[in-house]
Amino acid sequence: MSESKRLHPVAAVVNALRQLKEMIIPFLIFVVFGSRGTNWDLFYLFGSIGVVVLVLVYGVLAWYRFTYRIEQGELRIEYGVIVRKKRYIPFDRIQSLDLSEGILQRLFGLVKVKVETAGSGGMGLQDGEAVLTAISKQDAKEIHEYLVSIKKKEVLEEDLNEQEIKEDLLYKMSPGELLLLASTSGGVGVVISAVMAFVFQFEEFIPYEQIFDGVEHFVQSGVIFVSIVVFIGFLLAWLIALLGTMLKYAHFTVRRVDQDLVITRGLLEKRQFTIPLKRIQAVRISENLIRQPLGFASAYVESAGGSALDQESSKVIILPIVKKSKIPGLLEPHLTDYHFRVDVSPAPARAYRRYLLRGWLFVLPVIIAAIWFLRPWGYSALVLLAISALWSYLVYKDAGWSLDQGMLTLRYRNIVKNTVYMRKNKVQSFSVKEGLFQRKKKLATVEAIVKSGHGGAGGKVVDLEKQHAGLIYQWYSHEEKGKSAE
Amino acid sequence: MTISEPQKRISERALTVWKIAAGLHSLVVWVIAGGLVALKILFDFPYWVIAAALGAAALYSYLFIFLLPKMRWKRWRYEVREQEIELQYGVFIVKRTLIPMIRVQHVDTQQGPLLRKYHLSTVTISTAATVHEIPALDMEEAEHLRTSISRLARVADEDV
Repeated sequence: MSESKRLHPVAAVVNALRQLKEMIIPFLIFVVFGSRGTNWDLFYLFGSIGVVVLVLVYGVLAWYRFTYRIEQGELRIEYGVIVRKKRYIPFDRIQSLDLSEGILQRLFGLVKVKVETAGSGGMGLQDGEAVLTAISKQDAKEIHEYLVSIKKKEVLEEDLNEQEIKEDLLYKMSPGELLLLASTSGGVGVVISAVMAFVFQFEEFIPYEQIFDGVEHFVQSGVIFVSIVVFIGFLLAWLIALLGTMLKYAHFTVRRVDQDLVITRGLLEKRQFTIPLKRIQAVRISENLIRQPLGFASAYVESAGGSALDQESSKVIILPIVKKSKIPGLLEPHLTDYHFRVDVSPAPARAYRRYLLRGWLFVLPVIIAAIWFLRPWGYSALVLLAISALWSYLVYKDAGWSLDQGMLTLRYRNIVKNTVYMRKNKVQSFSVKEGLFQRKKKLATVEAIVKSGHGGAGGKVVDLEKQHAGLIYQWYSHEEKGKSAE
Repeated sequence: MTISEPQKRISERALTVWKIAAGLHSLVVWVIAGGLVALKILFDFPYWVIAAALGAAALYSYLFIFLLPKMRWKRWRYEVREQEIELQYGVFIVKRTLIPMIRVQHVDTQQGPLLRKYHLSTVTISTAATVHEIPALDMEEAEHLRTSISRLARVADEDV
């Protein structure tokens, strides 16, 4: 397979569509703010058609120029319409091949292959990464086989034709869990705000007043009507988000294949991620506000691979939603370096005052503004103080740390409660911070950073016992005991 | 348990450089304040605007030229040991950071025109996920530090 190959022509369409998708928002702005005079309509029409045609032509040209071949142990890609570019990726630098199938790819029985490399520090965007937008499954298989043969693995464990192969099933999401995941996800908020933004955007075009006038004959009170409409709107938004999440996470499975975790998911668009176990930098367990009381949590792994552009491949969700108590049983047999039953020491009681004040500092401007501008009713904003106090209590209660068998665990809450499990040898740097007021109270903030994709991730816990911070600091110190105090 | 402070200080000339740099950007504040005074003469602004502008500029200059650089310099400590690098810095919030040698990916030195004039350079230590900086070291010392860190930095035989 050393001759140059082009992608399947569908790739041209996929790329053109993506270009057009990226242009939609500027285009909308153009339309909304630009269309003043009527004379311009024709100009806009032809202009838009021209742009679309240009994008399509460019897409075809880009497809024509894009060739790939395997030569001398390298994946060699040549591309670029105006500036010719060559990218040669040695196979032994390739970390994994991620396969996904969009709707278009599935129609033609193709796959999209993303080549993940270690990336030598993320000096540029897309550094050390390549995407083959649409190639036949046969070609993808050949590349994979070549990769495997280069990596000197004895057996080909994975088969793209989805036959039964020798592997360990780590987790498969049940339909019940999928439903629970979708109905408790934060995606609802995103859809609602998108709908709101859309509605306000087109306020001018939709004759709300006429609609309202027309219906008012049937409905006595406008208030009831509006609340019903709003309710239905939210319900719809929620259903859309629900459906979106369900499509995205349907058939979610995690398998352990040799020394890799292979994650597949998606109904319309199938995606597959491969995470080499030894590249896992940390494990994070997150509990959002709705799931926590129900006893459910999600687990993520921070992986060192991935590219700067694609956060998805560095923070990979491996358990979208499971009973928290089941997590150790599911993960410990495979992530043998980690253990998830640790005793977390909380922040000391005297730290609560600082958590409380920080919360209040945050809501105070809102309260002052409310009282200032909305005189009689504004005072009700004082309720925020109580809510904030309650919230701060939650945040305070969740702060904690643990040191256990070469593993540092930090627990903290931003909005979601996070517990991060890190091995000492994966922590890139560790800091202890101490402010003026913290010093008086003998408190300190700790922060540990692990590599995630091209950037960092990790955990930060505010206002722990200073002595405890010192303990972690000494634990992290690589200097031999006694020698560090020279 | 208390942790012993790192011992080494950064160059005393850092203070001079910081003061000059702060002086340069407080010039901008003075220009704005001067502009306000000019506006006052042209458009009859109230006097308190002038007072506030000049006061703010003076306070800014005092803080950034005299007070903060000194506090910052006093706090800055570092220590390069066989297995790790330790940094301590911060004016109001003191931050102490440990960087194990096996995590260090590369070390750079860099200097701008101002630093060069004072024979200083900045050492930048990069790990896979973070970048740390020791500002304004004497050039020879920075050079020495860079070579000794890269000699001590070993690649661990594991992924990142």
